[in-house]
Amino acid sequence: MSAIVSPVRKPLITGNKTYHQITEDLISPTEKTPNALWVITFLMSISLLGFGLFCIAWTIWNGIGTWNLNRTIGWGWDITNFVWWIGIGHAGTLISAILLLFRQKWRTGVNRAAEAMTIFAVICAALFPGIHVGRAWVVFYFFPYPNTRGPLWVNFNSPLLWDLFAISTYFTVSLLFWYLGLVPDFATVRDRATGFRKSIYSFLAFGWTGKAKHWQRWESLSLVLAGLATPLVLSVHTIVSFDFATSVIPGWHTTIFPPYFVAGAIFSGFAMVLTLMIITRKVLSLEDYITIEHVESMNKVILVTGTMVGVAYLTELFIAWYSGYIYEQFAFFNRALGSYWWSYFGMMFCNVLSPQFFWSRKIRRSITWTFFLSIVVNIGMWFERFVIIATTLARDYLPSSWSYYTPTWVEIGIYLGTIGLFFTLYLGFTRVAPVVAVAEIKSILKTGGDQYVGENAKHHHHVKHDVNEHAAGTSIDIDENPDTKIK
Amino acid sequence: MNTDHATIDHAEDIKHFVFEGKQKTTLLAFIVLGILCMVGTFFIDSNRFWTNYLHNAVFFLGMSFVATFVLSAFMLAYAGWHVVMKRVWEAFMLFLPVGLIMMLLVIVGLWMHGHHLYHWSMDGIADPTSPNYDKILAGKVPFLNKYWYTFGTLIIVGIWTFFAYRLRSLSLREDEEGTTDYALHQQMKKVAAIFLPIGAFTSAALVWQWVMSIDGHWYSTLYAWYATASWFVAMLALTILILIYLKSKGYYKAVTAEHLHDLGKYMFAFSVFWTYLWFSQFMLIWYGNNGEETVYYNLRRHEYTILYFGNLVLNFVLPFLILMRNDTKRKYGTLGFTAVIVFFGHWWDYFYLIKPGARLNALHAHHGAGHGHEDAAHGAGEAAHGAAGHAAEHGADLAHAAGHAVQEGTEFAMGFTIPGFLEIGTFLGFLAFFLYFVFNRMEKAALMPKNDPYLAESLHHHV
Amino acid sequence: MKKGHTEVLYGLYNDEEILLDAVRQAKKEHLDIMDVFTPFPIHGLDPILGLAESRLHQAGFVYGATGTCTAFLFMTWVFTRDWPIIFGGKPYWSVPAFIPITFELTVLFAAIGMVVSFYIICGLGPGVTNEVLDDRITDDKFCLAFQTNGYSEDQIDKLKSFLTSTGVEEIGAKVI
Repeated sequence: MSAIVSPVRKPLITGNKTYHQITEDLISPTEKTPNALWVITFLMSISLLGFGLFCIAWTIWNGIGTWNLNRTIGWGWDITNFVWWIGIGHAGTLISAILLLFRQKWRTGVNRAAEAMTIFAVICAALFPGIHVGRAWVVFYFFPYPNTRGPLWVNFNSPLLWDLFAISTYFTVSLLFWYLGLVPDFATVRDRATGFRKSIYSFLAFGWTGKAKHWQRWESLSLVLAGLATPLVLSVHTIVSFDFATSVIPGWHTTIFPPYFVAGAIFSGFAMVLTLMIITRKVLSLEDYITIEHVESMNKVILVTGTMVGVAYLTELFIAWYSGYIYEQFAFFNRALGSYWWSYFGMMFCNVLSPQFFWSRKIRRSITWTFFLSIVVNIGMWFERFVIIATTLARDYLPSSWSYYTPTWVEIGIYLGTIGLFFTLYLGFTRVAPVVAVAEIKSILKTGGDQYVGENAKHHHHVKHDVNEHAAGTSIDIDENPDTKIK
Repeated sequence: MNTDHATIDHAEDIKHFVFEGKQKTTLLAFIVLGILCMVGTFFIDSNRFWTNYLHNAVFFLGMSFVATFVLSAFMLAYAGWHVVMKRVWEAFMLFLPVGLIMMLLVIVGLWMHGHHLYHWSMDGIADPTSPNYDKILAGKVPFLNKYWYTFGTLIIVGIWTFFAYRLRSLSLREDEEGTTDYALHQQMKKVAAIFLPIGAFTSAALVWQWVMSIDGHWYSTLYAWYATASWFVAMLALTILILIYLKSKGYYKAVTAEHLHDLGKYMFAFSVFWTYLWFSQFMLIWYGNNGEETVYYNLRRHEYTILYFGNLVLNFVLPFLILMRNDTKRKYGTLGFTAVIVFFGHWWDYFYLIKPGARLNALHAHHGAGHGHEDAAHGAGEAAHGAAGHAAEHGADLAHAAGHAVQEGTEFAMGFTIPGFLEIGTFLGFLAFFLYFVFNRMEKAALMPKNDPYLAESLHHHV
Repeated sequence: MKKGHTEVLYGLYNDEEILLDAVRQAKKEHLDIMDVFTPFPIHGLDPILGLAESRLHQAGFVYGATGTCTAFLFMTWVFTRDWPIIFGGKPYWSVPAFIPITFELTVLFAAIGMVVSFYIICGLGPGVTNEVLDDRITDDKFCLAFQTNGYSEDQIDKLKSFLTSTGVEEIGAKVI
């Protein structure tokens, strides 16, 4: 890694931190007792979760009839929520894996929390296929295990099954990748802890000591996992899009779905990361690590992916006309002007219009605007899935089968329950583990800290070897001084 | 294996590129070869000439568009590693107006009915009383017509040219006047930021016009993204080859194995991405089994088998296997070899995209009133959409019948079923012309941007 | 690591660049380094220490290839031999439909395989405890450690003076 840093780069760590200060800032939230705000939010989340669990139990006990699914709308809030949650979960792996491959150093401020968010989002998503089947008690039939029914295998040709493999793989790899990063950080927590906490974190830290050879393998493994996770993250939402695109339903059967769904997933995922990070950085006082530069970079990603989604919408509209296929043309008329027109306009406003605000540098760097718009984006992405699913199914080929769908309290309750689950897990995470990747932040201090980079950089011309007066991590010249070249 | 590290710390140390007489002569010789092949092809079979011409014009014009796009994107993504070699991409993007002029020949041919590249350009295509009437294309005529083609190409490529030349002039100004407030760099970022969405939207429209409309009855929403990915990988491959060549001549000492490794990674990754798009489009059409869509792949899989599978071997199997290992991306020989395969491979991809449909279009034009193929395809289309269960089989039967009706126009034809020597010669001519232009432009500026804020990072780039 | 019998003399540094210089110097003087411990990965350290490149990549390739074959061959067997069923009018051996699962299993096997291999070859895992030379190593100290079993006083003093000469902050000795 070069020690040369371009003068236009902005600092990624502010506040003149030393390595020790980084440890302090990032680990101490796990050592303090939670404050009232945390407790209240946690209780609210647990309540929502509880209600959600009740609704799920109600569904399983009484059957899918407690939902308003009908002919022809066989997929409603359940699958909308499923796709929504999976989409949200894409940001984590993208930040960890793809941004690692692209050497975007700013990822270190947000990757740990984003990866955690991915895992929690996938858990929320996986709930829906599990409970929407009706006979949830035999949901293990999904898995191709040798059985006494033939053995009756699953339908490997079905995108719904590809989903199962994709999501299981995604969950496993994300979990492994996330935990790999956590091991050195848990070691840091362990070495500061005492008593019972020490033994817990000692268990979680897997015996990590920081040996050079272990770091070498760790980095090598991180890179390979990143290289694997990149096509994986693309494949997961691609396969989810295959659930729709492999059909022959107008509005569903279109080749652009794979990359368009992936772009949309990244779009909503980053929005959720921003929502969470804006709250987290305030509550845990991490503004020096999750800086405005991080927020601005994520907003740029939102702008890019939002525009890609917009390109896809326009492409679909245009090609629907171009195809001359009356059913496809009708599908789009129906979306904009039919019984669900309000969800279409919600989608267009939230997904296409609102990210355009991020062309303004001022808005990109405004915490309030970002917070507000990140929520708008996620609302928009929910509407997008709803438009694709419910609107299309409400008006497919046979007019005599046309119907309408509104959710029941049970379905709404399950959705709220997943929100509760997500926040419960996330809040728990913030107490138990460092929310920012400690070791990774330290490794970019010299190339991203504000004492080295940006307007406030200090310039020293000599490094003394009797450096006892220097606190670790301070005032090492990164300009070209042969004494200090890292090679 | 070349692992030289940067020995250049100042841009002034870089040799200024000199476009030597010997290089010029060699390139001119290939340009003449290309012209001779084109003339020869014109007299053998004018359709073959026109399809070759369109193929190469679109291929090289697309590469220069993608160079503009990628430079803009990198600038906005805080990328610094590529800066040392960005003049190569600048030279690529300056080719845009030349590409536009090349397309003018196609446009003139369109107005004068000199070619039959596009079925929709036939007279009376939208007139129900005309023998040329085609119901499906009649519906597309508001977009697929000479006016849109002409003015769309002129205006859109014109806009791209404007942005490319603006970026270039700012880049050159930065060499002369760049200061440490990096104001020019910030300006370039603004230009790049505006260009990106415009480029994204407009390139799709042109891809649909130039290439997708050749298969007039067919459509795919993914098509533009797929075609752009193909251009991108081709551009990366050519960049690698040019850099290796220039390094062998003693230029670009500051471009090290590190930079080439990164370019190799991009080539690998986007070859995989291209394959992902190829597979997505294919699998969805295969799975839906909709006769109107599958006819595209049926034609290519069965009548153009070498093109079809060759495409995947050249652009996926080979680069994937060769470039997977870390060390092959650092060996100039292996990397260059793979770049040659991939560059040729994406030219091959465009051949596969253009030729089969264009050949049928020419046949329609010659056979005027023979509508067997179209009607059968219509029937296949309607039947496939008519009812649920039996539609697939029924549609497949009709499509099969349609297939028989179209037996002529699918037998082996050199220059269509596979590229022949004339196609290779034409390609080499266009390539030589492109390189001539690029080298000429590279002579006009310093090989490395002097005051780019990321230059120091780029010079000390380590992977 | 054998517990309880290794005598270690170690030096703690405040900064990784000083550590790197020290390691370079140690290598120059042909000192026998036991290990280097750092709070984060240091670039440039591995070549100086002479650490061979990790072979996890190659292992990953093999694991992935196992996943590819497992998935593809299994699905082929199920749909062509064991219980062929016509789905959607597609042929029994519907290769395009097999691709997504084949890809996923490749990634899954490669990832699990490599991660488990990583933990095993590093000797790390749930419940594993290793002696830590100093708690601040995972905080902000960089540690250069020498094994001193059977070293004479003289040799130990030489090591200590070496450490001091390279700018060490603290020197410690431990038996682990």
